[in-house]
Amino acid sequence: MTPGRGPPLILAVLATLQACASYPQAEFGSGAVAQSVPDTPFHAQTRYQCGPAALLTVLEHSGAPSTMAALVEQIYLPDRQGSLQLELVAATRQAARIPYLIDPTLDALAAELAAGRPVLVLQNLGVGWAPRWHYAVVFAVDPDAGLIRLRSGTDPVRETGEGVFLRTWARSGFWGLVVLRPGELPEQPDPGRFLDALVAMEATGHGDVALPSWRVAHEQWPTRTLPLFALGNAALAGGDPASAEASFRKLLALDPQHAAARNNLAHALADQGRSAAAIAELENALSQAELPPALRAELQDSLSEIRNRGAGTR
Amino acid sequence: MQYSRQANRHPCGRRPAGALQQGVFQIAVFALLSLGFAQVSEAGVVATHDLSRLETRQGQAMDLERFMARSDVAAGLERFGVSPDDVMARVANLTDGEIAALHDRIGQNAAGGDAIAVIGVVFLVLLILELVGVTDIFKAI
Repeated sequence: MTPGRGPPLILAVLATLQACASYPQAEFGSGAVAQSVPDTPFHAQTRYQCGPAALLTVLEHSGAPSTMAALVEQIYLPDRQGSLQLELVAATRQAARIPYLIDPTLDALAAELAAGRPVLVLQNLGVGWAPRWHYAVVFAVDPDAGLIRLRSGTDPVRETGEGVFLRTWARSGFWGLVVLRPGELPEQPDPGRFLDALVAMEATGHGDVALPSWRVAHEQWPTRTLPLFALGNAALAGGDPASAEASFRKLLALDPQHAAARNNLAHALADQGRSAAAIAELENALSQAELPPALRAELQDSLSEIRNRGAGTR
Repeated sequence: MQYSRQANRHPCGRRPAGALQQGVFQIAVFALLSLGFAQVSEAGVVATHDLSRLETRQGQAMDLERFMARSDVAAGLERFGVSPDDVMARVANLTDGEIAALHDRIGQNAAGGDAIAVIGVVFLVLLILELVGVTDIFKAI
């Protein structure tokens, strides 16, 4: 096949246009300095298994050692010859670490490195119509030299120019994952995203891992209700209703309309043998005009449960 | 300068016939049980991870939908070659929101793994793109 003069010329022009695509909002800000996490381990990947290799790298660095074999079982899809982002997130939870997606900028990436955390990134080394998706771990950046250094594939140190890295990273929507130890905050935490990450730990049965992080979140954002709600629930589940009561009361001082907190406060009171006070709290919550139906049903269940309990002990 | 995806396919053996159905059944049972997963707190207490659902949606009415989505995603993972035993552990660490995100689109999600079929003229175009810094395929991975 001998291509005519036309197509290559067009392609070259297109290529040049694409090369010009830049992402100013994602580039290093002025004053960005070199960062490095030299103790980032290296695990060479076998064919198509960059996902397990990259995840093993960041998990091991966070002190949650796993093995390639275990991670292949958890995140590799044989017939897709790769791993899905959400499965890396899920496997992080399984390893008792909190998965957090960083802001989509090189500055956010550098900030995590400065805090001593390597960042797992998804790149498309190809283009949209010929994708080559690849997971790698950024362990150093050098804004002055315009270089990003990665543990990538079978390459312990792969240097990529800032522009090329940004283009390959942009194709994944700047997907960058850090694995946080219990009680660790990201360097520039987005409260919504961080708290969602903790709720997801609870939803998948890893509440014990999230507990120290809820405490830290409450210190960081004392006026947010969700950390107090979680701390109250943890105390309640841990058999400490007095401490649960304190958390729920603190929350209700911030948001008196929080019907779910009032519901759980009632349980904390009932657990301390104060059924009358518990019932009063539930009646107070049920008197609110605009209660979501599911929450109203929950409050009514609590009311009959606590009334029955009171009748049984009388 | 070409290689086919087929030749490089992962050497994992195929499942024997019948294993899929058995796996799906296991998953269905597991998914049903896992609806109450992580709810170790006493009855009537609103769990932290249930808060937003209770405040925004119809609560229990969504259970069947959540259950179906979880089974579908599990079956999808099996279709892509995950063993039935591993599938259950894998879906257990996904939230309902993540299950919903994977649901029906599991085949279209990017799977990082270096796989690419480079054939003929495509190779030439990619080479040009590489030279101008658009792609980063050809260095050793």
